[in-house]
Amino acid sequence: MNNPTVDRTRFRYPLRWRVMDSLEEGASLIWPRSLSRHTGWLLLAPALLLVGILVLGLVQIAESSLHTLDTSTYLPSENYTGENYLTIVESATYLRILWRSLLGAALTVVFTLLLAFPYAYILVRTSSALVRKGLLVILFLPFFIGQVVRAYGWLIILGNSGAVNEVLGLVGVEPIRLLFNYPAVIFGLVQYMLPFAVLLLAPALTAIPQEIETAAGSLGANWLQSLWYVVLPMAKPGLIGAGLVVATLSLTDFAMPAMLGGGSQDFIANAIYDQFFRTANQGLGSALALVLVAIGSLIVGLVFMIFGAGTLGMGAKK
Amino acid sequence: MFMSDLQLDSASRAERSVAVSVRGVTMDFGSGSPAVKDASFDVETGSFLTILGPSGSGKTTLLRMIAGFQKPTQGTITIAGKPVDADPPNRRSIGMVFQKLALFPHMTAAENVAFPLKMRRTNPAEISGKVEKFLNLVKLDGYAERRPHELSGGQQQRVAIARALVFEPELLLLDEPLAALDRKLREEMQLEFRRIQKELGVTTINVTHDQREALVVSDDIIVMDQGLIQQHDRPVGLYRAPNNLFVASFIGVSTFIDGTLTADGLKVGDLLLPGSATPEATLGAPARGAVRAEQLRIGAGPEALAGCEIEMDGKVEDVIFEGERLIYVVGCERAPDIKFQIYHHDPHSFDIFEIGSPVRIGWHGKDMKIFNHDA
Repeated sequence: MNNPTVDRTRFRYPLRWRVMDSLEEGASLIWPRSLSRHTGWLLLAPALLLVGILVLGLVQIAESSLHTLDTSTYLPSENYTGENYLTIVESATYLRILWRSLLGAALTVVFTLLLAFPYAYILVRTSSALVRKGLLVILFLPFFIGQVVRAYGWLIILGNSGAVNEVLGLVGVEPIRLLFNYPAVIFGLVQYMLPFAVLLLAPALTAIPQEIETAAGSLGANWLQSLWYVVLPMAKPGLIGAGLVVATLSLTDFAMPAMLGGGSQDFIANAIYDQFFRTANQGLGSALALVLVAIGSLIVGLVFMIFGAGTLGMGAKK
Repeated sequence: MFMSDLQLDSASRAERSVAVSVRGVTMDFGSGSPAVKDASFDVETGSFLTILGPSGSGKTTLLRMIAGFQKPTQGTITIAGKPVDADPPNRRSIGMVFQKLALFPHMTAAENVAFPLKMRRTNPAEISGKVEKFLNLVKLDGYAERRPHELSGGQQQRVAIARALVFEPELLLLDEPLAALDRKLREEMQLEFRRIQKELGVTTINVTHDQREALVVSDDIIVMDQGLIQQHDRPVGLYRAPNNLFVASFIGVSTFIDGTLTADGLKVGDLLLPGSATPEATLGAPARGAVRAEQLRIGAGPEALAGCEIEMDGKVEDVIFEGERLIYVVGCERAPDIKFQIYHHDPHSFDIFEIGSPVRIGWHGKDMKIFNHDA
């Protein structure tokens, strides 16, 4: 009424559509319609390129892992040898580091999932928009703080004169060494992985209709039975996906063992770093790196073999 | 004769036991008018009650309160003689078939059916016996190992009903489980639900917006609208003697005629149409008459309308072909605002009238019900 020139009954071509039209026109100049059969490959190309470069790098690392360090010249040996791998297998230190990394990854997965599941469940199921928003903000907040900064923060909080010991001191407890031990590393890892796990679990829980849980209740299940017999099995794709991501990230983590372990709790990544940048033994470092890649691939492969790639909720729903 | 049948029924009704008793139940979500207002009714043991109403009528809320998913703001619900107001759903001995079935996708048909028994810590031997018996009851022998996604829509319905009944609940609740099925399957499953219900004799409350389903499966029907129970009656009673205009328009196809109620019938302009007024209708007040499509007669001349007290000349304005019948839409000069809808069931004379044909229509005075109508 106040603007007589605007005819409200007329169809107005949305601006968004106009933008899409010009984009399409531009795209058809670069990529003619006759090539549209191959569009899928075009879209995959950048990803394939990146993975390809990674594979090239791996080949180079594999090559250098077959040369030992000549201690007289500090150059890699000319001849090919498997000695670096022998060194790893025969060294109690490296086996201990391997075991520590694997156990650390396993413990981190268990604790992270235990903590992430209820968080994700409440996030998905709460009827209060305020609670959901609050949980989301708390979830994303740590993402703005880098891993190293966060580890440093824990150094301050858990240190001998840190906040935790200060509070303990108030109730008469002598300062406890909370840092530079295995539990501190696991603690740091769990704290770091929690948001990832929640983000991966939430869609899996959203996919479980509320009505299914209502049905379980009406059929006589209490909340624990409903969780055990219905929710957990149905959340399996999310649990496996989250577990896999947390496991691989923890297994290869560097900052937490380095900072919260204080050099006494090295993971494989720390050992690799030492070989490359401290002792300059490229060959041994490369061999360790390849061992790590192999172990990681083995774990992922095993999980896919046991549960099938489909359990991650990808591909056609079967 | 029909009325005496009904009276006999109600006489023997008093002797039967009541499985569910709803007294003064109100649900107020606090937004606008209550979803359910002061609902009171009894369900006889072993009978099949349908709560029928359009969406938003409060029928699902009423069912959810009986199931225990929602607590009534006021009133009491008694199941098998025991007030259940304080009991959560899992303590109410209720089997429920959900709108989307809510089968457990990770369990086989047999595991789905076994679930309520497992939750009750039944011993494994007894579980397998009962699962077999109930899969047989719903005609799913041989499908025990299938998962829900490997079953057809009708088979999934059967699993859902076996799962709701296997623990022998006092009460079976059906929350529009058939709404998503195509018509043929829906009609087949309606009869299946009724067969299973009669075979087990389990008291059943069904919720639907499908009037045909309500008429086909139920012993009793409650019609709801705007949170209020409009009528509670046997299907035949409901169809033949609707209480009010809402029930008359919700069930069946009728032609409505607005006028004023007089002692001799409905006065529309200079026409006086005889009819039977409901007790609530007041003389001299605006009223609306309703004649069902199957009670209107149509013919080329007066001879086809033997016995009709009311006759009018008209013209066919539209012919709607529905397969087993035709609907003629007829307009009359003497009542220009009314489009009469008339069923024609004789398959041998489907083509006698075309659009524009002059016809004569009529009806028996007693077939027109007259209701109060606040215009």
